[in-house]
Amino acid sequence: MLEKILPSEIYNPLTKYVSFNAINEIRLRVDKPIVLSIGSQKFFLSSHGTTGNLKEAICPSKTTLEDIVFRASECSLYSVNEQIKRGFLVTQGGIRLGLGGDLIEEKGQIKTLTNFNSINIRIPHEIKNCSLSCFDYIIENGNILNTLVISPPGAGKTTFLRDFILQLSQRNYAFNVLVLDERGEIDLGTKGCIGNFADKISFASKKVGFENGIRSLSPNLIITDELGTADDVQALLYACNSGVSIMASVHADSVESFLAKEDFSKVIKEKVFKRFVVLSLRNGPGTLEGIYNENLSRLGRRY
Amino acid sequence: MKILLIVIFSSICFAFGAKFYFKYKRRKNFFDALIFLCHKFDVEINFSREKVINIISSLEEKVKQNLYGLDKNFISSIENKESLEKDKLLKNLTFLSEEEGNSIFLFFKSLGRSDMENQLKEINNFENKFSQFCTASSQEFKKYGKLSIKLAIVACLMVVVLFI
Repeated sequence: MLEKILPSEIYNPLTKYVSFNAINEIRLRVDKPIVLSIGSQKFFLSSHGTTGNLKEAICPSKTTLEDIVFRASECSLYSVNEQIKRGFLVTQGGIRLGLGGDLIEEKGQIKTLTNFNSINIRIPHEIKNCSLSCFDYIIENGNILNTLVISPPGAGKTTFLRDFILQLSQRNYAFNVLVLDERGEIDLGTKGCIGNFADKISFASKKVGFENGIRSLSPNLIITDELGTADDVQALLYACNSGVSIMASVHADSVESFLAKEDFSKVIKEKVFKRFVVLSLRNGPGTLEGIYNENLSRLGRRY
Repeated sequence: MKILLIVIFSSICFAFGAKFYFKYKRRKNFFDALIFLCHKFDVEINFSREKVINIISSLEEKVKQNLYGLDKNFISSIENKESLEKDKLLKNLTFLSEEEGNSIFLFFKSLGRSDMENQLKEINNFENKFSQFCTASSQEFKKYGKLSIKLAIVACLMVVVLFI
Protein backbone atom coordinates (compact mmCIF):
# COMPACT_ATOMS: atom_id res chain seq x y z
CA MET A 1 0.00 0.00 0.00
CA LEU A 2 2.87 2.40 0.79
CA GLU A 3 3.94 2.07 -2.82
CA LYS A 4 0.73 3.77 -3.86
CA ILE A 5 1.08 6.53 -1.29
CA LEU A 6 4.71 7.53 -1.18
CA PRO A 7 6.52 9.27 -4.05
CA SER A 8 9.22 7.12 -5.64
CA GLU A 9 12.06 9.30 -4.26
CA ILE A 10 10.98 8.20 -0.76
CA TYR A 11 9.62 4.74 -1.48
CA ASN A 12 12.57 3.47 -3.54
CA PRO A 13 15.31 3.94 -0.90
CA LEU A 14 12.96 2.48 1.71
CA THR A 15 12.52 -0.75 -0.20
CA LYS A 16 16.00 -0.96 -1.70
CA TYR A 17 18.16 -0.23 1.33
CA VAL A 18 16.03 -0.61 4.46
CA SER A 19 14.53 -3.77 5.88
CA PHE A 20 10.93 -2.77 5.45
CA ASN A 21 9.54 -5.13 8.07
CA ALA A 22 11.77 -3.58 10.70
CA ILE A 23 10.34 -0.07 10.30
CA ASN A 24 7.85 0.99 12.96
CA GLU A 25 7.31 4.60 11.99
CA ILE A 26 8.16 7.01 9.22
CA ARG A 27 7.97 10.66 10.22
CA LEU A 28 7.73 13.29 7.54
CA ARG A 29 7.81 17.00 8.29
CA VAL A 30 7.80 19.87 5.81
CA ASP A 31 11.39 20.75 4.81
CA LYS A 32 12.76 18.59 7.64
CA PRO A 33 14.61 15.28 7.35
CA ILE A 34 12.52 12.10 7.17
CA VAL A 35 13.01 10.09 10.37
CA LEU A 36 12.64 6.31 10.48
CA SER A 37 11.98 4.48 13.73
CA ILE A 38 13.52 1.05 13.52
CA GLY A 39 13.17 -0.88 16.77
CA SER A 40 14.02 1.67 19.41
CA GLN A 41 16.48 3.56 17.19
CA LYS A 42 15.96 6.54 14.91
CA PHE A 43 17.60 7.23 11.54
CA PHE A 44 17.31 9.79 8.75
CA LEU A 45 16.32 8.55 5.32
CA SER A 46 18.64 9.40 2.44
CA SER A 47 18.50 8.38 -1.22
CA HIS A 48 20.84 5.47 -0.38
CA GLY A 49 19.16 4.18 2.78
CA THR A 50 19.46 5.21 6.40
CA THR A 51 21.94 7.83 7.48
CA GLY A 52 22.99 9.84 10.49
CA ASN A 53 24.14 12.71 8.28
CA LEU A 54 21.61 15.53 8.22
CA LYS A 55 22.92 16.89 4.90
CA GLU A 56 22.18 13.62 3.09
CA ALA A 57 18.68 13.28 4.50
CA ILE A 58 15.64 13.63 2.24
CA CYS A 59 13.48 16.61 3.20
CA PRO A 60 9.94 16.47 1.77
CA SER A 61 8.17 19.61 0.57
CA LYS A 62 4.69 20.75 1.58
CA THR A 63 3.35 19.60 -1.80
CA THR A 64 4.80 16.13 -1.20
CA LEU A 65 3.01 15.85 2.13
CA GLU A 66 -0.27 17.03 0.66
CA ASP A 67 0.14 14.59 -2.18
CA ILE A 68 0.76 11.73 0.27
CA VAL A 69 -2.42 12.53 2.19
CA PHE A 70 -4.40 12.84 -1.05
CA ARG A 71 -3.15 9.48 -2.29
CA ALA A 72 -3.69 7.84 1.09
CA SER A 73 -7.32 8.90 0.85
CA GLU A 74 -7.43 7.09 -2.52
CA CYS A 75 -7.83 10.50 -4.14
CA SER A 76 -11.06 11.09 -2.21
CA LEU A 77 -10.45 13.34 0.78
CA TYR A 78 -14.21 13.70 1.38
CA SER A 79 -14.42 9.97 2.13
CA VAL A 80 -11.95 10.20 5.03
CA ASN A 81 -12.70 13.69 6.32
CA GLU A 82 -14.19 12.31 9.55
CA GLN A 83 -10.85 10.62 10.24
CA ILE A 84 -8.86 13.67 9.18
CA LYS A 85 -10.86 15.77 11.64
CA ARG A 86 -9.61 13.46 14.38
CA GLY A 87 -6.04 13.84 13.16
CA PHE A 88 -5.41 10.58 11.40
CA LEU A 89 -6.12 8.63 8.28
CA VAL A 90 -6.02 4.85 7.92
CA THR A 91 -5.29 3.30 4.55
CA GLN A 92 -6.13 -0.17 3.33
CA GLY A 93 -3.83 -2.56 5.13
CA GLY A 94 -4.15 -0.75 8.45
CA ILE A 95 -1.33 1.76 7.86
CA ARG A 96 -2.14 4.77 9.99
CA LEU A 97 -1.08 8.27 9.04
CA GLY A 98 -1.09 10.62 12.00
CA LEU A 99 -1.54 14.15 10.66
CA GLY A 100 -0.38 17.55 11.78
CA GLY A 101 -1.64 20.76 10.19
CA ASP A 102 -4.05 23.65 10.58
CA LEU A 103 -7.34 22.76 12.21
CA ILE A 104 -10.34 24.57 10.73
CA GLU A 105 -13.10 25.18 13.23
CA GLU A 106 -16.53 26.60 12.54
CA LYS A 107 -19.10 27.32 15.23
CA GLY A 108 -17.12 25.33 17.74
CA GLN A 109 -16.95 22.25 15.52
CA ILE A 110 -13.92 20.92 13.73
CA LYS A 111 -14.50 21.18 10.00
CA THR A 112 -11.28 19.73 8.69
CA LEU A 113 -7.52 19.69 8.97
CA THR A 114 -5.60 21.40 6.22
CA ASN A 115 -2.10 22.65 5.33
CA PHE A 116 -0.57 19.38 6.45
CA ASN A 117 2.89 19.99 7.87
CA SER A 118 3.70 16.62 9.39
CA ILE A 119 2.78 13.01 8.85
CA ASN A 120 3.59 10.08 11.08
CA ILE A 121 3.20 6.85 9.15
CA ARG A 122 2.82 3.87 11.48
CA ILE A 123 3.53 0.54 9.89
CA PRO A 124 1.49 -2.27 11.43
CA HIS A 125 3.06 -5.66 11.96
CA GLU A 126 1.68 -9.11 12.38
CA ILE A 127 3.74 -10.75 15.13
CA LYS A 128 2.57 -14.33 15.22
CA ASN A 129 2.02 -15.82 18.68
CA CYS A 130 2.88 -12.60 20.53
CA SER A 131 -0.20 -13.03 22.75
CA LEU A 132 0.39 -16.70 23.46
CA SER A 133 2.18 -16.22 26.77
CA CYS A 134 -0.94 -14.52 28.16
CA PHE A 135 -3.49 -16.77 26.52
CA ASP A 136 -4.03 -19.20 29.40
CA TYR A 137 -4.40 -16.39 31.92
CA ILE A 138 -7.11 -14.71 29.88
CA ILE A 139 -9.25 -17.77 29.21
CA GLU A 140 -10.57 -19.45 32.34
CA ASN A 141 -12.95 -22.42 32.35
CA GLY A 142 -13.79 -21.77 28.72
CA ASN A 143 -14.69 -18.14 29.39
CA ILE A 144 -12.79 -15.09 28.29
CA LEU A 145 -12.07 -12.76 31.18
CA ASN A 146 -12.40 -9.02 30.66
CA THR A 147 -8.88 -7.96 29.83
CA LEU A 148 -7.17 -4.60 29.46
CA VAL A 149 -3.91 -4.28 27.57
CA ILE A 150 -1.89 -1.38 28.97
CA SER A 151 1.08 0.16 27.19
CA PRO A 152 2.56 3.45 26.01
CA PRO A 153 2.04 4.37 22.32
CA GLY A 154 3.82 2.16 19.83
CA ALA A 155 4.47 -0.69 22.26
CA GLY A 156 2.32 -3.27 20.51
CA LYS A 157 -1.19 -3.08 21.96
CA THR A 158 -2.93 -3.41 18.62
CA THR A 159 -0.57 -6.16 17.48
CA PHE A 160 -1.33 -8.05 20.70
CA LEU A 161 -5.11 -7.72 20.20
CA ARG A 162 -4.83 -8.77 16.56
CA ASP A 163 -2.85 -11.87 17.45
CA PHE A 164 -5.23 -12.78 20.27
CA ILE A 165 -8.18 -12.77 17.83
CA LEU A 166 -6.21 -15.01 15.50
CA GLN A 167 -5.18 -17.37 18.31
CA LEU A 168 -8.82 -17.79 19.31
CA SER A 169 -9.68 -18.77 15.78
CA GLN A 170 -6.69 -21.07 15.34
CA ARG A 171 -7.50 -22.89 18.58
CA ASN A 172 -11.12 -23.27 17.53
CA TYR A 173 -12.57 -21.23 20.32
CA ALA A 174 -15.74 -20.53 18.41
CA PHE A 175 -16.63 -17.37 20.31
CA ASN A 176 -18.46 -14.78 18.29
CA VAL A 177 -15.89 -12.04 18.35
CA LEU A 178 -16.80 -8.48 17.46
CA VAL A 179 -13.82 -6.38 16.44
CA LEU A 180 -14.72 -2.78 17.05
CA ASP A 181 -12.07 -1.21 14.90
CA GLU A 182 -12.51 2.51 15.50
CA ARG A 183 -9.39 3.49 13.59
CA GLY A 184 -9.28 0.63 11.11
CA GLU A 185 -5.97 -0.61 12.49
CA ILE A 186 -6.79 -4.02 13.96
CA ASP A 187 -7.78 -5.76 10.75
CA LEU A 188 -4.98 -5.37 8.24
CA GLY A 189 -7.19 -6.70 5.48
CA THR A 190 -4.86 -9.61 4.81
CA LYS A 191 -6.37 -13.05 4.43
CA GLY A 192 -7.13 -14.63 7.79
CA CYS A 193 -5.84 -11.64 9.75
CA ILE A 194 -8.71 -11.75 12.23
CA GLY A 195 -9.53 -15.43 11.92
CA ASN A 196 -12.80 -17.14 11.11
CA PHE A 197 -15.08 -16.16 13.96
CA ALA A 198 -14.76 -12.41 14.00
CA ASP A 199 -17.19 -9.77 12.80
CA LYS A 200 -16.00 -6.25 12.35
CA ILE A 201 -17.41 -2.76 12.73
CA SER A 202 -14.99 -0.14 11.49
CA PHE A 203 -14.67 3.60 12.03
CA ALA A 204 -17.59 3.79 14.46
CA SER A 205 -17.24 5.48 17.82
CA LYS A 206 -17.12 3.17 20.83
CA LYS A 207 -20.63 4.22 21.87
CA VAL A 208 -22.23 3.52 18.52
CA GLY A 209 -20.10 0.44 17.90
CA PHE A 210 -20.86 -1.22 21.23
CA GLU A 211 -24.58 -0.50 21.05
CA ASN A 212 -25.08 -1.51 17.42
CA GLY A 213 -22.71 -4.44 17.65
CA ILE A 214 -24.36 -5.99 20.68
CA ARG A 215 -27.82 -5.47 19.24
CA SER A 216 -27.11 -6.72 15.75
CA LEU A 217 -24.26 -9.23 15.99
CA SER A 218 -24.74 -10.79 19.47
CA PRO A 219 -21.05 -11.17 20.22
CA ASN A 220 -19.53 -13.20 23.07
CA LEU A 221 -16.45 -11.04 23.06
CA ILE A 222 -15.81 -7.48 21.94
CA ILE A 223 -12.26 -6.47 21.14
CA THR A 224 -11.49 -2.80 20.80
CA ASP A 225 -8.48 -0.53 20.77
CA GLU A 226 -7.50 2.56 22.74
CA LEU A 227 -10.14 3.38 25.34
CA GLY A 228 -9.64 6.99 26.24
CA THR A 229 -12.63 9.13 27.05
CA ALA A 230 -15.45 9.05 29.58
CA ASP A 231 -17.82 8.17 26.71
CA ASP A 232 -15.68 5.13 25.92
CA VAL A 233 -15.95 4.03 29.55
CA GLN A 234 -19.73 4.46 29.48
CA ALA A 235 -19.92 2.33 26.35
CA LEU A 236 -17.68 -0.26 27.98
CA LEU A 237 -19.88 -0.48 31.08
CA TYR A 238 -22.95 -0.82 28.87
CA ALA A 239 -21.33 -3.79 27.11
CA CYS A 240 -20.28 -5.40 30.40
CA ASN A 241 -23.83 -5.09 31.72
CA SER A 242 -25.02 -6.82 28.57
CA GLY A 243 -23.03 -9.92 29.50
CA VAL A 244 -20.40 -9.55 26.80
CA SER A 245 -16.71 -10.12 27.53
CA ILE A 246 -14.43 -7.23 26.70
CA MET A 247 -10.83 -7.05 25.64
CA ALA A 248 -9.52 -3.54 25.19
CA SER A 249 -6.37 -1.49 25.28
CA VAL A 250 -5.43 1.79 26.87
CA HIS A 251 -2.47 4.18 26.79
CA ALA A 252 -0.54 4.15 30.08
CA ASP A 253 3.00 3.43 31.24
CA SER A 254 2.02 0.98 33.94
CA VAL A 255 -0.93 -0.32 35.94
CA GLU A 256 -0.32 2.48 38.45
CA SER A 257 -0.63 5.22 35.86
CA PHE A 258 -3.78 3.56 34.54
CA LEU A 259 -5.25 3.54 38.04
CA ALA A 260 -4.62 7.28 38.22
CA LYS A 261 -6.89 7.97 35.24
CA GLU A 262 -9.99 9.68 36.55
CA ASP A 263 -12.24 8.65 33.67
CA PHE A 264 -11.68 5.01 34.57
CA SER A 265 -12.42 5.29 38.30
CA LYS A 266 -15.74 3.48 38.03
CA VAL A 267 -14.21 0.69 35.97
CA ILE A 268 -11.44 0.31 38.51
CA LYS A 269 -13.78 0.47 41.50
CA GLU A 270 -16.13 -2.13 40.08
CA LYS A 271 -13.20 -4.33 39.06
CA VAL A 272 -14.59 -4.63 35.56
CA PHE A 273 -11.31 -5.95 34.21
CA LYS A 274 -10.13 -9.27 35.57
CA ARG A 275 -6.81 -9.26 33.76
CA PHE A 276 -4.29 -6.52 32.96
CA VAL A 277 -1.57 -7.17 30.39
CA VAL A 278 1.23 -4.61 30.56
CA LEU A 279 3.47 -4.08 27.53
CA SER A 280 6.41 -1.73 27.16
CA LEU A 281 9.17 -0.66 24.80
CA ARG A 282 11.92 -1.77 27.21
CA ASN A 283 13.30 -4.49 24.91
CA GLY A 284 11.62 -3.15 21.78
CA PRO A 285 7.89 -2.96 21.02
CA GLY A 286 5.82 -5.73 22.56
CA THR A 287 7.93 -6.37 25.66
CA LEU A 288 5.64 -8.13 28.15
CA GLU A 289 6.10 -6.51 31.55
CA GLY A 290 3.51 -8.55 33.40
CA ILE A 291 0.03 -9.97 33.70
CA TYR A 292 -2.08 -8.94 36.69
CA ASN A 293 -5.44 -10.00 38.08
CA GLU A 294 -8.23 -7.70 39.27
CA ASN A 295 -6.52 -7.30 42.65
CA LEU A 296 -3.37 -6.22 40.80
CA SER A 297 -1.49 -9.30 41.90
CA ARG A 298 1.05 -10.48 39.40
CA LEU A 299 0.23 -13.75 37.69
CA GLY A 300 2.79 -16.25 36.46
CA ARG A 301 6.51 -15.60 36.34
CA ARG A 302 8.22 -12.23 36.41
CA TYR A 303 9.02 -11.16 32.84
CA MET B 1 -15.44 4.34 -65.87
CA LYS B 2 -18.36 6.71 -65.31
CA ILE B 3 -19.88 4.40 -62.72
CA LEU B 4 -16.59 4.12 -60.94
CA LEU B 5 -16.24 7.91 -60.78
CA ILE B 6 -19.82 8.21 -59.52
CA VAL B 7 -19.08 5.72 -56.78
CA ILE B 8 -15.82 7.46 -55.80
CA PHE B 9 -17.25 11.00 -55.68
CA SER B 10 -20.44 9.87 -53.96
CA SER B 11 -18.38 8.07 -51.34
CA ILE B 12 -16.27 11.16 -50.74
CA CYS B 13 -19.37 13.33 -50.32
CA PHE B 14 -20.98 10.79 -48.03
CA ALA B 15 -17.81 10.39 -45.98
CA PHE B 16 -17.66 14.15 -45.40
CA GLY B 17 -21.30 14.20 -44.37
CA ALA B 18 -20.88 11.22 -42.07
CA LYS B 19 -17.75 12.73 -40.53
CA PHE B 20 -19.62 15.84 -39.45
CA TYR B 21 -22.66 13.84 -38.40
CA PHE B 22 -20.60 11.60 -36.12
CA LYS B 23 -18.61 14.54 -34.77
CA TYR B 24 -21.80 16.17 -33.50
CA LYS B 25 -23.20 12.85 -32.33
CA ARG B 26 -20.01 12.08 -30.37
CA ARG B 27 -20.15 15.48 -28.69
CA LYS B 28 -23.77 14.94 -27.71
CA ASN B 29 -23.13 11.42 -26.39
CA PHE B 30 -20.02 12.59 -24.56
CA PHE B 31 -21.79 15.38 -22.67
CA ASP B 32 -24.71 13.06 -21.88
CA ALA B 33 -22.23 10.58 -20.38
CA LEU B 34 -20.44 13.34 -18.48
CA ILE B 35 -23.71 14.51 -16.91
CA PHE B 36 -24.52 10.92 -16.03
CA LEU B 37 -21.11 10.70 -14.34
CA CYS B 38 -21.82 13.88 -12.35
CA HIS B 39 -25.15 12.39 -11.19
CA LYS B 40 -23.38 9.21 -10.17
CA PHE B 41 -20.77 11.17 -8.22
CA ASP B 42 -23.51 13.11 -6.50
CA VAL B 43 -25.44 10.00 -5.45
CA GLU B 44 -22.52 7.77 -4.51
CA ILE B 45 -20.66 10.45 -2.55
CA ASN B 46 -23.83 11.51 -0.76
CA PHE B 47 -24.94 7.99 0.07
CA SER B 48 -21.76 6.10 0.84
CA ARG B 49 -18.84 8.49 0.37
CA GLU B 50 -17.58 6.12 -2.27
CA LYS B 51 -14.07 6.73 -3.59
CA VAL B 52 -13.65 8.58 -6.89
CA ILE B 53 -11.86 5.70 -8.61
CA ASN B 54 -14.52 3.17 -7.56
CA ILE B 55 -17.28 5.40 -8.88
CA ILE B 56 -15.59 5.80 -12.24
CA SER B 57 -14.66 2.11 -12.45
CA SER B 58 -18.21 1.01 -11.74
CA LEU B 59 -19.67 2.96 -14.66
CA GLU B 60 -21.58 0.92 -17.20
CA GLU B 61 -19.64 -0.07 -20.27
CA LYS B 62 -21.83 2.00 -22.57
CA VAL B 63 -21.25 5.16 -20.55
CA LYS B 64 -17.52 4.45 -20.51
CA GLN B 65 -17.55 4.11 -24.28
CA ASN B 66 -19.20 7.50 -24.59
CA LEU B 67 -16.54 9.08 -22.40
CA TYR B 68 -14.03 8.26 -25.14
CA GLY B 69 -11.16 7.29 -22.84
CA LEU B 70 -11.56 10.20 -20.39
CA ASP B 71 -12.15 7.76 -17.51
CA LYS B 72 -9.13 5.64 -18.40
CA ASN B 73 -6.85 8.66 -18.81
CA PHE B 74 -7.88 9.96 -15.39
CA ILE B 75 -7.41 6.63 -13.62
CA SER B 76 -4.06 5.97 -15.30
CA SER B 77 -2.72 9.37 -14.18
CA ILE B 78 -3.66 8.43 -10.61
CA GLU B 79 -2.21 4.95 -10.83
CA ASN B 80 1.03 6.25 -12.35
CA LYS B 81 1.31 8.84 -9.56
CA GLU B 82 1.43 11.63 -12.15
CA SER B 83 -0.06 15.05 -11.67
CA LEU B 84 -3.13 15.52 -13.83
CA GLU B 85 -2.29 17.14 -17.18
CA LYS B 86 -4.86 18.57 -19.53
CA ASP B 87 -3.33 17.17 -22.72
CA LYS B 88 -3.11 13.65 -21.33
CA LEU B 89 -6.58 13.75 -19.82
CA LEU B 90 -8.24 14.95 -23.01
CA LYS B 91 -6.08 12.87 -25.34
CA ASN B 92 -8.86 11.38 -27.47
CA LEU B 93 -11.33 14.21 -27.20
CA THR B 94 -10.49 16.21 -30.30
CA PHE B 95 -14.10 17.32 -30.74
CA LEU B 96 -14.04 19.58 -27.67
CA SER B 97 -13.58 23.34 -27.77
CA GLU B 98 -10.93 25.07 -25.64
CA GLU B 99 -13.53 26.25 -23.12
CA GLU B 100 -15.12 22.81 -22.82
CA GLY B 101 -11.72 21.16 -22.40
CA ASN B 102 -10.73 23.60 -19.66
CA SER B 103 -13.96 23.00 -17.74
CA ILE B 104 -13.58 19.23 -17.92
CA PHE B 105 -9.96 19.44 -16.83
CA LEU B 106 -10.85 21.64 -13.86
CA PHE B 107 -13.66 19.28 -12.94
CA PHE B 108 -11.40 16.25 -12.78
CA LYS B 109 -8.69 18.25 -11.04
CA SER B 110 -11.13 19.20 -8.29
CA LEU B 111 -12.27 15.63 -7.63
CA GLY B 112 -11.47 14.31 -4.17
CA ARG B 113 -9.76 17.50 -3.01
CA SER B 114 -12.29 18.75 -0.45
CA ASP B 115 -14.79 17.67 2.17
CA MET B 116 -18.13 16.19 1.18
CA GLU B 117 -20.17 19.36 1.37
CA ASN B 118 -17.83 21.38 -0.81
CA GLN B 119 -17.17 18.49 -3.16
CA LEU B 120 -20.89 18.13 -3.86
CA LYS B 121 -21.26 21.88 -4.39
CA GLU B 122 -18.42 21.78 -6.87
CA ILE B 123 -19.86 18.78 -8.70
CA ASN B 124 -23.23 20.53 -8.97
CA ASN B 125 -21.61 23.68 -10.33
CA PHE B 126 -19.74 21.71 -12.96
CA GLU B 127 -22.85 19.70 -13.76
CA ASN B 128 -24.71 22.94 -14.50
CA LYS B 129 -21.92 24.02 -16.79
CA PHE B 130 -21.85 20.64 -18.54
CA SER B 131 -25.64 20.84 -18.95
CA GLN B 132 -25.17 24.05 -20.91
CA PHE B 133 -22.59 22.34 -23.12
CA CYS B 134 -24.94 19.39 -23.46
CA THR B 135 -27.87 21.57 -24.54
CA ALA B 136 -25.66 23.37 -27.05
CA SER B 137 -24.29 20.10 -28.41
CA SER B 138 -27.80 18.63 -28.73
CA GLN B 139 -28.90 21.66 -30.70
CA GLU B 140 -25.78 21.46 -32.87
CA PHE B 141 -26.47 17.81 -33.49
CA LYS B 142 -30.07 18.46 -34.46
CA LYS B 143 -29.10 21.40 -36.63
CA TYR B 144 -25.79 20.50 -38.23
CA GLY B 145 -25.49 16.75 -37.69
CA LYS B 146 -28.64 15.85 -39.50
CA LEU B 147 -28.08 18.64 -42.00
CA SER B 148 -24.67 17.31 -42.93
CA ILE B 149 -26.14 13.89 -43.73
CA LYS B 150 -28.85 15.50 -45.81
CA LEU B 151 -26.31 17.63 -47.65
CA ALA B 152 -24.18 14.56 -48.25
CA ILE B 153 -27.14 12.77 -49.81
CA VAL B 154 -27.95 15.81 -51.96
CA ALA B 155 -24.29 16.03 -53.03
CA CYS B 156 -24.31 12.35 -53.93
CA LEU B 157 -27.43 12.83 -56.03
CA MET B 158 -25.85 15.84 -57.75
CA VAL B 159 -22.79 13.80 -58.59
CA VAL B 160 -25.00 11.13 -60.08
CA VAL B 161 -26.97 13.73 -62.07
CA LEU B 162 -23.79 15.47 -63.27
CA PHE B 163 -22.22 12.27 -64.47
CA ILE B 164 -25.36 10.94 -66.12
